[in-house]
Amino acid sequence: MMTMDAQENSVGSPLDTREARREARLAIEEFNAEYCAVLDDGALEDWPDFFTEDGFYNITARENFDRGMPVGLVYCESRAMMRDRALAVSKTSMFGPRFLRHFITNTRVTGIEADGTICAQSNYILLEVLMDVPDGRLHQAGRLFDRFEPQSDGGLLLKSRIAVYDTLLVANALVLPV
Amino acid sequence: MAWFQSIPAADVHTQGAVGVEVDGLRIALFSLDGDIHATGNICTHAFALLTDGHVENGCVECPLHQGLFDIRTGKAQGTPVTKDIATYAVDIRDGQVWVDTDSRLAETDAAPEHTESMPEDPRALLIVGAGQAGVETAVAARQNGFAGTITLIGDEPVLPYERPPLSKGMLMGESGLDEATIYSAAELDALKIELLNGIQVSGVDRKARRVSLSDGRQLSYDMLVLATGARARELSVTGSDETSLFYLRNLRHAKSLGEALRKATQVAVIGGGFIGLEIASAARKLGKHVTVIEAAARLMGRLLPEEAAGYMQELAVANGVALELGHTTAAVSREGVMLDDGRMVAADCIVVGIGAVPNDALAREAGLAVAERGGILVNPIGRTSDPAIYAVGDVAVHRDEISGREHRLESWQNANLTARSTGMAIAGAADHSIDLPWFWSDLFGGTVQMLGQMRDGLTLVRRDGGQAPVFFGLNEEGSIELVVDFGQPKAIQAARSLMLEGTELSPALLTDRDVDLSQLNEDDMKTIPLEKRFVWPATGLERIPDWVYTDQEIFDREVERIFHGRTWNYVGLEAEIPNAGDFIRSYVGPTAVVVSRDEDGGINVFENRCAHRAAEFCRELHGNTDEFVCPYHQWSYDLKGNLAGIPFRRGAAGKGGMGPDFQPEKHGLRCLSVATRNGAIFASFASDMESVEDYLGEDMLKDFDAVFSGRKIKVLGHYRHTLSGNWKLYPENLKDPYHATLLHTFLVTFGLLVAGNKSAMIVDPKGRHSTMASAKSDAGKVSDEDKSQMRAYRDGMTLEDPRMMDFVPEFDSPWSVTMQVVWPNLIVQREMNTLGVRQINPTGPNEFTMVWTMFGYEDDDEEMTRHRLRQGNLMGPAGYLGMEDNEAIKFVQDGMLNTRKGEHLIALDPEVPAGTSDTLISEAAIRAMYKYWRQEMGL
Repeated sequence: MMTMDAQENSVGSPLDTREARREARLAIEEFNAEYCAVLDDGALEDWPDFFTEDGFYNITARENFDRGMPVGLVYCESRAMMRDRALAVSKTSMFGPRFLRHFITNTRVTGIEADGTICAQSNYILLEVLMDVPDGRLHQAGRLFDRFEPQSDGGLLLKSRIAVYDTLLVANALVLPV
Repeated sequence: MAWFQSIPAADVHTQGAVGVEVDGLRIALFSLDGDIHATGNICTHAFALLTDGHVENGCVECPLHQGLFDIRTGKAQGTPVTKDIATYAVDIRDGQVWVDTDSRLAETDAAPEHTESMPEDPRALLIVGAGQAGVETAVAARQNGFAGTITLIGDEPVLPYERPPLSKGMLMGESGLDEATIYSAAELDALKIELLNGIQVSGVDRKARRVSLSDGRQLSYDMLVLATGARARELSVTGSDETSLFYLRNLRHAKSLGEALRKATQVAVIGGGFIGLEIASAARKLGKHVTVIEAAARLMGRLLPEEAAGYMQELAVANGVALELGHTTAAVSREGVMLDDGRMVAADCIVVGIGAVPNDALAREAGLAVAERGGILVNPIGRTSDPAIYAVGDVAVHRDEISGREHRLESWQNANLTARSTGMAIAGAADHSIDLPWFWSDLFGGTVQMLGQMRDGLTLVRRDGGQAPVFFGLNEEGSIELVVDFGQPKAIQAARSLMLEGTELSPALLTDRDVDLSQLNEDDMKTIPLEKRFVWPATGLERIPDWVYTDQEIFDREVERIFHGRTWNYVGLEAEIPNAGDFIRSYVGPTAVVVSRDEDGGINVFENRCAHRAAEFCRELHGNTDEFVCPYHQWSYDLKGNLAGIPFRRGAAGKGGMGPDFQPEKHGLRCLSVATRNGAIFASFASDMESVEDYLGEDMLKDFDAVFSGRKIKVLGHYRHTLSGNWKLYPENLKDPYHATLLHTFLVTFGLLVAGNKSAMIVDPKGRHSTMASAKSDAGKVSDEDKSQMRAYRDGMTLEDPRMMDFVPEFDSPWSVTMQVVWPNLIVQREMNTLGVRQINPTGPNEFTMVWTMFGYEDDDEEMTRHRLRQGNLMGPAGYLGMEDNEAIKFVQDGMLNTRKGEHLIALDPEVPAGTSDTLISEAAIRAMYKYWRQEMGL
């Protein structure tokens, strides 16, 4: 359903230069630092603002992604659906208290398309600390497949983020997005 | 002022309480004494609609936590509610209710008024029958904290007395009523138990919860106990109406029989049971000539095993009792008893002791469930088929919740034990004591004691020594089930603990006089069987002990008897292995298996364990192959699990290799039975399973086939997660409709589950499978209705993209949601249009992993696939509902770890002991599951 092969679209794009990629990587790293801070602070209702209005967000296991199976633990087709999730999770969901910490690293810009869309991949890890087992554990490790839309104010918004986790077995529950 | 029109006033008056939506507010309209009052409809304490609550005395009780609000003032009436509810001005114009949505200010003196005048416990407990069982129930209820009124109604004009002395001291004139009286008037007074004696109860009106008394009065009750006892079975033969016959059941009987015995010279006793022999013993003591007439070939019929009865017979004969065995009574007259062979047993005093008949007329007339052979059917805590009525003592027939066996006991001990457990239940306490049936009788100068219960098939062992022998009845496992003691009280004491622990003994040990029975239990070598160490609470299915969820030995037995037993276990979908050579890894319980498609198109399930050295050879989640090769020593297997090749089977250079007796066909992988139903694959370790269709049964198949209808399935992907809880908590969660609106606030907040939705909790006849189902009230108008529900909030609780809640009708089913448990490891999920199967793979008592396979159908268009994926946000470990279930189950397991002797309370909806219930505020489906589980587990 979502092809991640961004390279093809950007082949020959005049915007796709070595310099532009380096600049884009820096912008993405700044973007992700803010993104993680929002989630780590539990400000879930601000999370949808990192996406364009038609933004797509999915968290799926590597076993699905590798075989082209579209299912997602979280499957949002629009910023409106992300707002719904943020509202539902923060206002109605019951789950044990926890600290979550997101790390996004190894960012690679894999292409810049003719319309300016930046394609990138990163690794991520998510650490979870539960109050009853406060030593914490690795909750997820995986990759992010991203498409960013540069904004007129110089910032970026996500058109699409697909989090693909290698840690196939989710421990009990995944309460916040990655 | 903001006036809005709502609904016709007449509707409010007919319904009493109606919820309406006015100006985006949820408002409750109540009809009170002809006036209409409006309040906020959402409780100030937790989210619940007050119009679903109970209205009484001008107050509404919130259905969720029983907080009370005054309807007129909105005032909160004390914990748990502290914040007043808004009230609104109401005006009736042209028969319509108008509401001013600017709420009236709550009066400022907001200090909650305490209603001191309310009695602490307004409930009335009524006990019919003031014998041993009746009065002890009253006392047990009071002593365990029941604070309401207790009224005891007895038909004899005396204080409650115990009956054993009737046939013993009182009969002989050696003791009187005072010694037999159980509680004095002063003692009853002190316990605030009111005794109405010399009064009969003529009827029970269950609907009005009221009994009628013989003096014309009527008494109301909240809980009623029937302790009506049993009456002597009457002899009906030629002359029985004209001849004075004596019975022994009550005070009056004892008095008249005592006098008659003293006057008599020749006594005939009809009936060779305990009562008959006690009377014979008393008559012999008075020096009378006594004949006991018994229709059976021996005394004590089914009460004692043959050998023990034989000893009893010798005892009677040695004490000068004449016996007429194998003879029925043809007629009675002033001359005596005429036997069936025409002989006459001369007697001037005829006593009849041929058993007792339970006094269940009151219960029958009230429509309570009674046993075929008489007596009122009760559960382990003495509750009858009406949750407000209990029965105790001689009249109660206990039906075993698991085996269905019924038994009624007439004994002093049984009266006390049933009174205690019922009295405690009434007081809200649980009786956890474990007692063995015990009975004693004074006969011919000695005491006979009986511990345990007589049944056929016991092996009898006699132990001599002491004053007289003791008899042990051993069961098939070699542990003691019955002791009949004629004079070795120490032996019976030792036997008690051996019985409770189920110690297996050899008969030789028991007969050996040199063996000290009390030392047997100290033996370190003994092994106590599982059944005796894990004993289900005596209170029955309403309580589940923690060890069910936390113990490794219990888990091991579950693997053996359930997952490896006679069950069909879901292992995968045919759509996952469409082509020859396709395979997936899967599990049956904790056991790893491989599911493969062979060249003939057949499906095979075999253990993922090499026949050589047990290596789990298949390491990929899925794939396609021609053969399976174990990496350790290269043993290879075909797609059906047959052993295909062994490296160096014949050795190398003429040396080594397998011996000549090696047959490869006997060393294949362990293959399981396989069955499919419209694309779902099941496997079983049992080789002679019934079909999947029969296993599911007609009702369950209907819901199953709604999803597996034969439409080609398209797999959309998998979720896998661990769950830190016992595996059974998951099927329980889907047999627990009570939690749906309480845990899943999302459902209520966004209108997915609204009052008025049709719903059901359906259980298969065996109690193992189930379907939790609900239907949108009007499938055609779903989105409009949803929207109106969603608009009901002013604080922004609406969905911006409500497409997730759309239901596209596509199933042959009256339900829009079905959550089906197929015992033991499958959940079939149909939450509107999001479909999936969940496979439960337990790894031990405290954790399981779950594999979800989400799917649609091959003929879905792209929008339908997206819709299923979108709706999938509800489910899985990050789903709005799935996340909460996982967390709740973890919390339950956390609560059980590191505590001792805990238990769960599963008591909702007592009217349905176990099975399908028509209310969602019920735990009957969970009880049904444990009824089945206990049968399978032998616990």
